Order: sequence, then C-alpha cells, then structure tokens
Amino acid sequence: MRAWLFAGTLLAAAAGHAADPLPIFDAHLHYSHDAWEMVPPKDVIALLRKGGIRRALVSSSSDDGTQMLYAEAPELIIPELRPYRSRGEIGTWFKDPTVITHLEERLKRYKYVGIGEFHLYGDSADLPVPRRMVELAREYKLFLHAHSDADAIERLFRQDPGARILWAHSGFEQPAKVREMLRKHAKLYADLAYRSEHGSGGKVDAEWRAAFMEFPERFLVGTDTFAPERWHYVVEHADWSRQWLQDLPPAVAEKIAYKNGESLFGNTVKR
Amino acid sequence: MRGAAGLTAAGFLACGLVLMSSAAVAQTPLPGPAPEELRNIQRHGPWSQPVPRDPSNRVSGNAEAIALGRALFFDPRLSPSADLSCATCHLPERALTDGRDRARGGGAAKPRLDRNTPGLWNVGHGRWFGWDGGSDSLWSFALRPILHPDEMGASAAHVARLLRGDANLACRYANAFGRAVPPEAAAESALVDAAKALAAYLETLVSGASAFDELREALARGDATAAARYPDDARRGLALFAGKGQCSICHFGPNFSNGEFHNIGMPHMVEPGRVDPGRHGGIRRVRADKYNLLGAFSDDATRASGSRTLHLAQNHGNYGQFKVPSLRNVELTAPYMHDGRLATLREVVRHYSELNVDRLHQDGEALLKPLRLSDAESEDLVAFLRTLTSRSFPDLNPAPGPCERRGA
Repeated sequence: MRAWLFAGTLLAAAAGHAADPLPIFDAHLHYSHDAWEMVPPKDVIALLRKGGIRRALVSSSSDDGTQMLYAEAPELIIPELRPYRSRGEIGTWFKDPTVITHLEERLKRYKYVGIGEFHLYGDSADLPVPRRMVELAREYKLFLHAHSDADAIERLFRQDPGARILWAHSGFEQPAKVREMLRKHAKLYADLAYRSEHGSGGKVDAEWRAAFMEFPERFLVGTDTFAPERWHYVVEHADWSRQWLQDLPPAVAEKIAYKNGESLFGNTVKR
Repeated sequence: MRGAAGLTAAGFLACGLVLMSSAAVAQTPLPGPAPEELRNIQRHGPWSQPVPRDPSNRVSGNAEAIALGRALFFDPRLSPSADLSCATCHLPERALTDGRDRARGGGAAKPRLDRNTPGLWNVGHGRWFGWDGGSDSLWSFALRPILHPDEMGASAAHVARLLRGDANLACRYANAFGRAVPPEAAAESALVDAAKALAAYLETLVSGASAFDELREALARGDATAAARYPDDARRGLALFAGKGQCSICHFGPNFSNGEFHNIGMPHMVEPGRVDPGRHGGIRRVRADKYNLLGAFSDDATRASGSRTLHLAQNHGNYGQFKVPSLRNVELTAPYMHDGRLATLREVVRHYSELNVDRLHQDGEALLKPLRLSDAESEDLVAFLRTLTSRSFPDLNPAPGPCERRGA
C-alpha cells in the first residue's frame, strides 16, 4: 500500500512538472522611450510574468528604459546597453563619435551583460566608432548583440577574435549560412527573434532542425519589441516558441528555450 | 491610334504646351513621363471593371440575388433591435462609409468599435476582406457585422425568421435560390444565403471612371489633347506617386491596392492594455472561420478558391499589419487608416513624408522610407489622389418594385 502511494506521488509530481509551461529566456527585447507611457514598467513586468518569461535580455533607446525595468524586477531583467540615445540613431550611430562618450559614461554607471542590439552592416563595422565599441566590450567583458550581415560579423571577430557575439535575427540568413558561421566562430550565438519560418505551424523546418541539433547550445529565442504595442505580443510569442520547440527533443528544446540564455547571461549582472 | 509606349515624353510635353497656350500662362511645360512611368500609369487600368463571378457563391452575378441583397443592405430589421442596417454605417451619401474615426455598434449601448468603417465601393475587387483580412470571401465578410455581438448581434434564427416573415424578402429569396426559405432547423443555411445575396449586391458596387482614368486612356491612345486636360498639380502628384514615392508598389493595379497587408508604422493600441493585432489576428480568424472558403458553406466544390486560405502562413511581422486600402474615391472616405486616426488626405501624405521608421522593423518593411516631401509636393500628391474620385456612381437604392415569384 505504501509503495503504491509512493508511486502515485511520483506520478503526480511528474504530471505536475509536465504541465508547467516551458520557461522562456527572451533574448531580444527593447523598452524604448515611446513605450514608457503606453506600457508602464509594472505592466511590462506583468506581461513577462504572464508569458512565463524566466529572464529577459533588454536593451532600449534610451537606456533609461532598461534601467526602469531593471529597477522594477532585477531578478527578471538582464540589461544590455545600446549605442543609441534615441531610436532615431539606428542609421547614424556608427559615424557619430559622441556615441562613444555615451557608452563610456553608461558603462561606468551601470552594469550590463552586453552592448547592443546595434545595427551594423558590411564595412561600416570597421569604422572608428564600432572599433572603439568592440574595445569597450572586451574591456568590460561584454557580449556584442549585433543586428548585422555576415560580413560585419566577420569584421567584428577580426577586430577581437575573443569576442562573444549574439547574432540578432541570425542575420536573416538561411540556416545553411547560420550553421556555417556557427562552425567558424565558437563564440557566436544566434538569436531567432522576428523569424517565423523555422517553426511555422508548430513544426520545425528540416534545415533548421539540422542547425538546432548540430548547435543546441548556440540558439536563443526572442520577441523583438521594436514598437510599444509589441510588448503585448510577448505572451503569444512565448507560446508560439513553446509550440515549435515541442517538435525538438526535450533536452534541445530546453536549451534553446531558456538554458542557453541562463548559462550565457543568467548570473552575470551584479550591481 | 498609338499605344501607351507610343506616346513619348515629347508627346506629353506637347500636352503641356497645348495647355499653356490655351491658358496663356507663361510657365515651363511639365516634363513628360519617362517610359517606366508611362508603364506604371497603364497598370492602373483599365477602369471600370466588373467584379469577376465568385465560384464560392452560387448566386454571384444573379440578378434576383442582387435584388435580395440590396433589400437586405438597407433593412434595419437585419439587427434584432431593428436599429442597424448595413447602410447605417455604410452611408450612401458618405461613399459607403460613416465619416467617423471608429465605427459605432448597435443595440442600446452603441459601443465604439475598434476600427474605421471600410468603404464598400469596388469592394468586390479584393481578395481578403476587412482591415485584418479576417474573411476570405465577400459573403463571409458580410456575415461578420450581422453576427458580431457589438454590431447587429443577430443569429441565424433571426435572419431566417426575417426572410420567412416578410413576403417580399421571401419571394426574392425563392427567386434567387430556387427554393423557399429553409425551416428553423436549417436556419444557418438561410443566414449564409442572405450573406451570399448581400455579397452579390456588393459585387455590383463598382464606381465609374475618374479624371485619372481619362488621363490614362488618353495616354493609352496617344491623345495629347485629352491628356492635357489633366490638371498640372495632379500630374506632378502622379509622378511622385508612381515614381519617387513608390506608392504604386502597394497601391497597385486598377483598384490601387495589392490586396495585401503592411505595417506602415501606425499605432495600433486600441486602448491602454489592448492592442489590435491586425493581420496577425486576421489570419487566425480566417483559419478558424467555419464560413471560410475551405468550409462546408462554400459553393466551390473544387475548393480551388480556398487555396490561398489553405496556404496562409502566419508570421511575427503580421502583428500590426493592416490591409492596403483601395485609393479609388479616397477623397470621399475620410477619416483614414484602420482606426480613422488621420482626418485628412494631407495628414496621410504627411505620415508618409515624415514616416517614423523607428516603428518599423528594419527587415520588415524595407520599402518604406520617409518621403521628405516639400509642402508643394505634398499638395501635388493630394491633388493627384483627388483625381481618383469617380465621375459617376451607380444608383445604390433604386426604388424596389414588388417581387413577383418566378417559376411558381
């Protein structure tokens, strides 16, 4: 009788565990100035918790947005520093030397796990401002979160072969190219934000499956809240991610869902 | 007679010269359109075009069904509270819109709805219906306001009772569908038939040619004199529309819409804490709709017309996308955008001129860039848009004659 009870308890525990939604590490979130009134910090945190987001990698234009969220929920928010003081600098920052002053001041004042997400393409990566940014990342032991083409990624690694780069949207490259880059660069990690084709309809595409199976420790998911309304998409995006992740072996799914994010960024921010 | 390609830049210049001499104004004639621009202009016609028959609607094009649809369109008894007809929001005197930013619902509450009332002129030329494309046929689109609890809030039983209980409607139904209104047990069939009759009527709402169409025809036949009648400011606006502005890439073809969905950086928060997902929700809606083209109510036995619905793929970029509206008669359908937040065409042009690219994903809507138009260019673009207003419209509500049962 006691043995049966024990077995029943184990089964119930297993069932309870299976029913828990897969935690998600969301590696691509922005809380920029136009979102602050529309979705106040408390609402953002409530949405993240509702979505079962275990940790959130947040970068904002301006950085004050990230700091507001970090103050609200330091156990949930992992700050990154964007080289933008406002969102309008996406296309100009890499030629603007005052960006360096901005980065240096914020890095002295706050703790971050990375610099980014920044937009940088081709040979612009070799301009003085991005070069200094790479130096700062090395000095502060920070990731680079690059929304870049493969060419710019190569240039960043040439500047610092020891750099760790989170490749935003995996460069919108095809899976074969992403795999090629991951093989070439051991410290390159691929975020899948704003991409749908790898898990459309809850099924993992064959080419992407091969990439996930070859590099289970190198992929992360993310929503990309580039407009304020998209904070209300975080919950749905997390559910969507869980659907296609179910199509992978559980151990691989867990890594991509949250374990990779935790191991890369989880315990690195301490004030 | 020459084709469009035969009317050279010199020919268009001649138009300008004719205009100048007749007006006796000492201005530099407008440069003629480049061959590529001429081709772009020709792609916006011919007009007007009848709506093709809908294979999913067995009464598409049927005159008896059109008569029934017309009667239903103007009948407030379609709503259980008898205070809301299709024409309550799609007002004939307002180009089949209501002039409000966001539509008002029915019943005692008359709630403010989430979206702007879409115009219905030329609606049959679309392929998805509603701002979110949540309907894949005109008849399933017609069902939405009938059934939505915040709009008419009707039921199948209510619509069937209306059809059965009104001799004129029952007669028109029998003429259109070749049978009596189905009994209570088959009320849903009567409801769908009513929507198909409404769709048959909506298909007839094709507006006439506009000043732009007259220009296009003149260019096509090489008639410089007729082409010269087109106003100079509109001609400059047309050059912007089809050239630098790249507007014609999305506002494409004879109906000035590619029929698809885009995110143009419009806010889409309905109220604090509630977002209109746009096309993202529309794809979910059309897939789940039992009245879609893949469902049992489609009259297309091959289901070929449902192919687009079958292959719909939802992606993250759909969130915040809304349908590209037709620009025909756009002058008459203010206010603009999915929630009517822009009051005038000038505001619409300003939106594109000063576009906030920060609201767009870098890799989502790569085409959209701020146009940075001068005040004069903006006025020219508005002048062009105004030339898309039809010179004539068919009579919307001719006095209905008594119904005579055919084949009885």
